[in-house]
Amino acid sequence: MTTIATSPRKVAIICSHGGLDEVYPALILANAARQSDIEAMIFFTFWGLDAITESKVDHLHMNLAGNAANTMPTVIAGLPGMESMAAKMMLKQMAELDIPGVREMLKILEESGADLYACELAMKMFKREKTDLIPEVKGVITAGDFYDLSVGAQIIFT
Amino acid sequence: METSVGAMKPQKPEPLEPQQLVARLDLLSAQLAFLVEKQRKQDEMLSELAPVLKQVMATATTRLDELEKKGYFAFGKEALGVAQRVVEAYSAEDVRLLGNAVVGIVDTLRALTQPEVLEIAGQASEVLMHADTAEPVGIFGMVRATRDDEVQRGMAVMLGLLKHVGRGARAISERKGGSSGTARPVLRLEANAGGTSGRALGIQRAPAAPAERRAPACAAAPSKPAVATTVIDGVEFAADGHMVDATAWTRALGENIARLHAVVLTEEHWKIVEFARAEFLETKASPNIRRITQGTGITTKALYTLFPRAPARTVAKIAGTPKPVGCL
Repeated sequence: MTTIATSPRKVAIICSHGGLDEVYPALILANAARQSDIEAMIFFTFWGLDAITESKVDHLHMNLAGNAANTMPTVIAGLPGMESMAAKMMLKQMAELDIPGVREMLKILEESGADLYACELAMKMFKREKTDLIPEVKGVITAGDFYDLSVGAQIIFT
Repeated sequence: METSVGAMKPQKPEPLEPQQLVARLDLLSAQLAFLVEKQRKQDEMLSELAPVLKQVMATATTRLDELEKKGYFAFGKEALGVAQRVVEAYSAEDVRLLGNAVVGIVDTLRALTQPEVLEIAGQASEVLMHADTAEPVGIFGMVRATRDDEVQRGMAVMLGLLKHVGRGARAISERKGGSSGTARPVLRLEANAGGTSGRALGIQRAPAAPAERRAPACAAAPSKPAVATTVIDGVEFAADGHMVDATAWTRALGENIARLHAVVLTEEHWKIVEFARAEFLETKASPNIRRITQGTGITTKALYTLFPRAPARTVAKIAGTPKPVGCL
């Protein structure tokens, strides 16, 4: 962590959605920042909490219904099982490109020095405890704490 | 009269017979009556004509006035002014150019005045004449209207028209954009091909850019060295800090570069650097962090400890290979 203090740049990423396709951008951006010697932190809030929740991280789905970029009609996309099917297809494609899964990405991020935080209010709302989260999470913080920690950072909302 | 008096003179001595005198007087009075009657008739005619003439004059005056009001005279005056302005504004050269274009204009006019064209124009103008009574149509109305056979035909015609307008516009823009000699045949070739090759969903795609102009794919071969390079001790470095020629690398050079990046190379470091060099020589691409961790078995955390600042990039710099590409 001592090296991070000397870094001239810093990004603070807010991850507020729990879809597979909504979590990855935050993870990849944070990872790319660390690879480029940029200090990085991710603040998981609302549905984004699912990405760092032990029981959910391996079962993130892809939101098909209401997604304008999805060519499937909403009537069909809303059928049961469609989301998990789409998520499976997406994960398969990512595996072909050698993109690590969400759990592995979070581990890589933690190892590369990115800080992962959970939102305290969202934790209360979803009735989750710190023990429900994956071990890579550094802490449960408030929105105020987030601002204290992100001093000098560029804030990215996903 | 004198002659007649003179002529009558010899008769004067003979006194007239009363019957003769009466006959003469009769004749005279008849003549007088005729004259009087004639005069009376003329007077009458004049008095009758006067209102008619007055009427005629009045009408003529109002007519002229109307013409003036309608602007005939003003128009004439203006027309003269226009002619004057035309002469002032256009040079003889302009007129000559116009003369050159006349053939084209006449050709176009002739094409436009073919009976078939005029018939269609006439039909269309009928609709335009009743434009004020047309009902507003929304998007659904449009869709409904497309079911009509005639509308479909009209759409086909309009699309054809659009296509030709577009083709003309492109030809002009290409001609203006230089290399007019080559641009036009290419256009004609495309027109002959019917544009079926690059078509998707009925939309004509722009022709693909030449291969060398396309952006490099994400995990492409070593990126080309940046234009600006720096030479340090006879070794060329690109603007991003990576060596331009990987084959010029030596172990000693690697150590020097590492020192510049505040890295003291240990056995662990060398293991990574050597892996990176071997990987590059094999794949012509610098390995990214994931490739290094998978290839050497080192953990991400350990890698970040060995090379704290941007590990993959630092390793590539020390190994004398280009900047790694990709997002992971």
